[in-house]
Amino acid sequence: MSDTNHFEPHILAFLCNWCTYTGADLAGTSRLQYPPNVRIIRTMCSSAVDPVYVLKPLLEGADGVLIGGCHPGDCHYQTGNYKARRRYVALEEIIKAAGFDERRVWLRWISASEGQKFADTITEMVAALKELGPNPMRTTWAV
Amino acid sequence: MRTTISVDNKDVLAAVQSFLRKLLDSGLVDALYIPLESADGTLIPSLVVDPVLLEDANPLAPVMPINGARAVSALTNKGDSFRLGAVLRPCEQRALIELVKLQQASLEKLVLISFDCPGTYETIDYQAIRQAGKFDLNQYLSAAREGDEPALEQVGLRNACQMCVLPVPENADITLEIFGSRLDQGIPVTMNGELCEKLRYLPEEPPAGDARQVILDRKIQDRRQVRDRQLSGIQEKITAEGGIAGLFAACIRCHNCMTVCPICYCKTCLFKTAAFDHPPEHYLRLAQRKGATRMLGDTLLFHLTRLNHMSASCVSCGMCTSACPADIPVGAIFSAIGAKVQATFGYVPGRSVTETLPLITFQANEWTEVGEAK
Repeated sequence: MSDTNHFEPHILAFLCNWCTYTGADLAGTSRLQYPPNVRIIRTMCSSAVDPVYVLKPLLEGADGVLIGGCHPGDCHYQTGNYKARRRYVALEEIIKAAGFDERRVWLRWISASEGQKFADTITEMVAALKELGPNPMRTTWAV
Repeated sequence: MRTTISVDNKDVLAAVQSFLRKLLDSGLVDALYIPLESADGTLIPSLVVDPVLLEDANPLAPVMPINGARAVSALTNKGDSFRLGAVLRPCEQRALIELVKLQQASLEKLVLISFDCPGTYETIDYQAIRQAGKFDLNQYLSAAREGDEPALEQVGLRNACQMCVLPVPENADITLEIFGSRLDQGIPVTMNGELCEKLRYLPEEPPAGDARQVILDRKIQDRRQVRDRQLSGIQEKITAEGGIAGLFAACIRCHNCMTVCPICYCKTCLFKTAAFDHPPEHYLRLAQRKGATRMLGDTLLFHLTRLNHMSASCVSCGMCTSACPADIPVGAIFSAIGAKVQATFGYVPGRSVTETLPLITFQANEWTEVGEAK
């Protein structure tokens, strides 16, 4: 890990079933290219992502966590993404106040038809995390 | 309405006890939640129906064994409730308001009795001084009257009390005013007209000048300085080498902080389930990845998750700090981080039952930049 030139970030992504997960699927079936640094977990809604799911990987050394949901107003459950947004804002405050880098946690609205946007987001996130360097929690064991 | 509880022979405690007895005798409440004091100075939070037992009631003793909101939750949450009178300190009352909003308690049929709170000591400190015969309630109350921080011999108030900037009740049905009051001459009380009438107290004109407000303003100003100092000290430690993990390094994962927290009401906390019972290989893999791994695991995760769940509602009662066997300033850490979350949502925990909890509501047109590419 000391050679940051060869640092490949590990990203964990929680994608909502109805929009972003389907968008990721579209990126795949459309054969769009994006970096292979992301591991995807399908959730039923962005609001179903408990903050503990974000904190646990961060503390264990994941370099980034992405939460993907439907655009505001488009939630399959009417209002889930609005609630996810507030929850994200609270989590961001706690992550910052607790001394972690909030730039490691992304929330993005990507619809089922936005395969290209999904591919672009992952490309962007990998570049941003490479800029940030490895998560210090990769070697911080006393947590 | 404002009135006065008369005090005989300068015995303030006896006057408070006889006022409470009146509440029970009048039938306005069926039972009272109040701490009873045993002979050795142990305060026992109790539900009292026999007025005779109120001779051991001591709500003024500067000790807070539990956050009473938890007791009121147990007494009002389920089934057919009875008419309960509850004597709560301001921070207990704020916690109760939060529990009501979390649907864990009810204010229906509840008469809330509260008082200006000069601050409390750790139970063990108070007991020791009390057993040595060195605690003088009148001295404590007269320091409170002047707005001075009461001090037992070489013992300060609980940390949370030293930095409490909300020492007066805001939502009580009956408020005993201690700051600025010569209690040996009578206890000034505000209560609603109906209670005043039923208890046969005559309404009085409020006194000219407001000694209480003057004392209160000064106290809050002083306490705010202590609070700012303490919380920025915590922030410094968080940004220093070791970070927040260093602050919780001594944690033994006893869950005391969670157990005593009035806001942490979940019956099946995630951290009490098998969710984090990893197979042994998991720990080995973690250790191999990082060189070592802390056992028992997920310590910081526990605290950060708790922060996520309750920091918006944290009323800074400091029960967590008092309960921590490892002397971690849990309450100050949670207050420091909670303040940021509360400020973000413009939310003041415990202020009003009509203020919606920030994480169960939303507006379509807020934080519109969140979720968009930067």
